[in-house]
Amino acid sequence: MAPSSTQQVLLSPAELSYLHTSLSLDPPVRPDARTSSQFRPLIAETDILPGTNGSARICFADGTEAIVGIKAEVEKSRPSYQASADRNVAEDDDDEEDEETRRDEQLAKEKKGLNEWVEMSVEIPSFRDDDSMPVFMAAMLSEALLADGAFTNKLWINRRFHWKLYLDILLLSQPLSYPLPLLSLTTHLALLSTRLPRLKSEEDEDPLFDDDWAASVFLYPRTQSLIRPPVTLLVMSVGNNIIFDPTKEELAVAESVLAVSVGERPQEKSQGDMDVDSGKPARDLRLLAIRTIDPPSRLTPAGVPNTLNTATGGTAAGTTEQASSKRETMEEEGVWQPPRGGAKRKLIAAMIQAVLARGGVAEEVLDGLDAVELG
Amino acid sequence: MPLDTSTYSLALLRLDGRRWNELRRLTAQISTQAAADGSSYLEMGNTKVICTVTGPAEGKRTGGAGTGGGNEAEVRVEIGIAGFSGVDRKRRGRNDKRISEMQTTISNTFASSLFTHLYPHSTININIHILSQDGSLLAACLNASTLALIDAGIPMRNYICACTAGSTSSHSANDEAADPLLDLNNLEEQELPFLTVATVGESDEVAVLVLETRVQMGRLEGMLAVGVDGCKQVREILDGVVRRRGKRILESAAV
Repeated sequence: MAPSSTQQVLLSPAELSYLHTSLSLDPPVRPDARTSSQFRPLIAETDILPGTNGSARICFADGTEAIVGIKAEVEKSRPSYQASADRNVAEDDDDEEDEETRRDEQLAKEKKGLNEWVEMSVEIPSFRDDDSMPVFMAAMLSEALLADGAFTNKLWINRRFHWKLYLDILLLSQPLSYPLPLLSLTTHLALLSTRLPRLKSEEDEDPLFDDDWAASVFLYPRTQSLIRPPVTLLVMSVGNNIIFDPTKEELAVAESVLAVSVGERPQEKSQGDMDVDSGKPARDLRLLAIRTIDPPSRLTPAGVPNTLNTATGGTAAGTTEQASSKRETMEEEGVWQPPRGGAKRKLIAAMIQAVLARGGVAEEVLDGLDAVELG
Repeated sequence: MPLDTSTYSLALLRLDGRRWNELRRLTAQISTQAAADGSSYLEMGNTKVICTVTGPAEGKRTGGAGTGGGNEAEVRVEIGIAGFSGVDRKRRGRNDKRISEMQTTISNTFASSLFTHLYPHSTININIHILSQDGSLLAACLNASTLALIDAGIPMRNYICACTAGSTSSHSANDEAADPLLDLNNLEEQELPFLTVATVGESDEVAVLVLETRVQMGRLEGMLAVGVDGCKQVREILDGVVRRRGKRILESAAV
């Protein structure tokens, strides 16, 4: 179960109903006059802390601010029983296979990183470290990062040593809206700016690094096709409308909320169908993780319809069971009902489609992040 | 690992090339965060601190009778030292002894310099995030809090300006001719005796004096004098930051 947004929005049932109605129009009318896929403006900077391997800071327009600092330390790898077991099996069954290729395969297998080489911690003011919100956020962010299994391979140094990456995510302001996208984007930029010292030693020697920081290598190498770390976006639905980057008020009437993590696939060299007319290649996006988030709208107070209100000539229900069963069957315009039940499958598919489609929101966000000058 | 500061007597230059009475580069900004009532960002050399203030607001009723219910506002301080702030990555728990002592020091200081009687039954929350540490931690926190409280518009008697002062030789060396030093960095703090002093504005009134290392009695007076002098320099810089901000607000209002 996901924790709901931290601060309860103080809106009356009538206000919630108004907001819900305007968001379910076609096209939806949002309180801040954005279109349904428009994001709020933000300020971003990278490489702000010289004491870290990589760092970034993002300020959203509503004043929420996050800083991410990444530190890497060399750590001794534990001898893996898995690997040695694999080796024994390999020796048993394919005797006739070439020795050379087998060694290469072995090396490729050993170059695999472990998920425990990445440690992520989220700190939110006035929350304890073991509160559900920071723990859940950290789990969601690391899930997206580790989903493709290729990230930890970058941390492999040699058979005996590896980098241990510590990602410390600080939310500097109160969590006004659900801070997941903010934290995800900041982590994304910090990872892009992360540099590790260049390795000078060879093979399985004790690692020795170049002490010239100017010669350090980026964790995400700056090649022609820069593969970006994943981003997690928040998508919500009201009726059949799909709305991106919801504010606190919009989340208070959301019918379902999804956190969608999107990554980029490495670009294949073979270009069968030549897209001559498109100036730059389209991003090859893939879905890494989806989480449904318990919308805070479930905790909002329901409105009382006239038929249940003695002040307007109705008859109040005798027991709470009767009241809730009556409310369950009622579908009255303008009376706020907290959403019940899950989202429709078709709607979830449409939400994912809107994120991933060519020219969709994920592409737009990644293009926007391209504009951030990286150190 | 002890550090060799014996070269000081040769050229009278410190490890980072400063003279005895020179501050490190001190820069600050205020109103850095829109969501908080008051906020500031302060750099003292490589020590970097972000401070946000919320309140005065009605305090949360968290069990028992807190002091926030009295006739004066309660000043609460929360300090978070980021895991990446030091040389090695280290996570500090919320109830680290050093942190809670710094919190108490800051909260007591501001409780006496703010006009807390104007805000009965309320709390002023000061949140401090340390992003990078290189000595003078308490002093940086005090200076950043002063700026953030000014930005929040909470009336106070005067600026609380803080800096550190030390002495050029350690306690065990027992060197009578040791010079006092101003504004120590992390390396110097590890080896030399030092104190943190905060004054109220440009007066000589000392609001905070923290000395945790052993030092001969005779050297203390010199250190304190240099520290108080440094606080006056700090006050000029902080005042400049506030005035620049005020000017900018006036300019934007005039348009």
